[in-house]
Amino acid sequence: MNLLTIVLLAIITFTSRYLFLDPSLPIRIGPKVGRFLSFSAPAVLTAIWVPIIFVKDSQLNLSPTNPYLLAALVAIVVAKKTSSIYLTLSASVVFFVLLRLYLPV
Amino acid sequence: MAFDRRSAYLYRARQGALDMLPLNLAVLPWGILCGSLAIQRDFSTLEALLMPALVFAGAVQLIVTQLMYEQAPLVTILFTATVISSRHFLYGLALRDKLKHLPLRWRASLGFLLTDELFALSGQSKSLRGKLQLVYGLGAGGSFYLCWLLWNVIGIVAGAYLPDLTNLGLDFAIAVTFIALVIPSIVNVAMIVTVVVAALLSVVFKLLNWELGLVLASVIAMYCGYLTTTIQAKLVINTKCNGPSLEELP
Repeated sequence: MNLLTIVLLAIITFTSRYLFLDPSLPIRIGPKVGRFLSFSAPAVLTAIWVPIIFVKDSQLNLSPTNPYLLAALVAIVVAKKTSSIYLTLSASVVFFVLLRLYLPV
Repeated sequence: MAFDRRSAYLYRARQGALDMLPLNLAVLPWGILCGSLAIQRDFSTLEALLMPALVFAGAVQLIVTQLMYEQAPLVTILFTATVISSRHFLYGLALRDKLKHLPLRWRASLGFLLTDELFALSGQSKSLRGKLQLVYGLGAGGSFYLCWLLWNVIGIVAGAYLPDLTNLGLDFAIAVTFIALVIPSIVNVAMIVTVVVAALLSVVFKLLNWELGLVLASVIAMYCGYLTTTIQAKLVINTKCNGPSLEELP
């Protein structure tokens, strides 16, 4: 039963990724739609990361002691200054771990 | 000659894997979490292995593992997975014109590997154009697949000895990766509009506990970005037309 479910899940994830790459689909992307789609990466990625920072258990967490928020600010500054994934990742993750260890919860 | 070409391909594939490395590392805690959760939720080792190997999607794995443990109806499980995966439709659409002409083996393999991370990495207009760039994408996506599998295996092996990791804040590494990729790409007003709208709407929809909110927030944000460029183009035309008359003013 579980195996069947897993195979069906695999079909779903593959289809969602592959579907619009298939040439037999009668879809033509004009310049306007192309321009619209050019915003997909910043839009989707932002819609993924921002809720991780601000929402915890369906509650908005704007507290100045929210470790996600503080470490994300560090990440944004480092990303803006350096454009380096490594520096952004290491600086903010270290900061995040320290906050989790030393901030009173 | 053929030898040269092969070494050029190998070089590009390695370059892709190297560029993907920070993202591969960033999903390490998340992969361990997915693998260990499967074991802790009574999956057999084979089932726990097939999740990353075939389904290959962190968010789907995590949520579905919990649903399957709670013995949710199959329809609920599949529907939830479809909703979570629906953002990938946008990736396919965005890359359609670059990839649809390719032979099936390229489309299928890059399609299979088309995660958030690979899409984020292949965001530039020149990426995935031409065979060298495709090999680059394959190197990046392939290395991500292998790492994801490996991190899951670590979780599966260690799962029985690990505590429940779900509330440790391991999702922070994912958030930071996307911050690192998105922030430097904000170079004009349209991008600012897109990111701000996506940020606000995604939080509102998340608070409403609306699984489809991610895609809806993205699509509205994309439209706002698109509208911004349209308005900017009109403003440029207007100032060009009005330009001379403005200069005639006293």
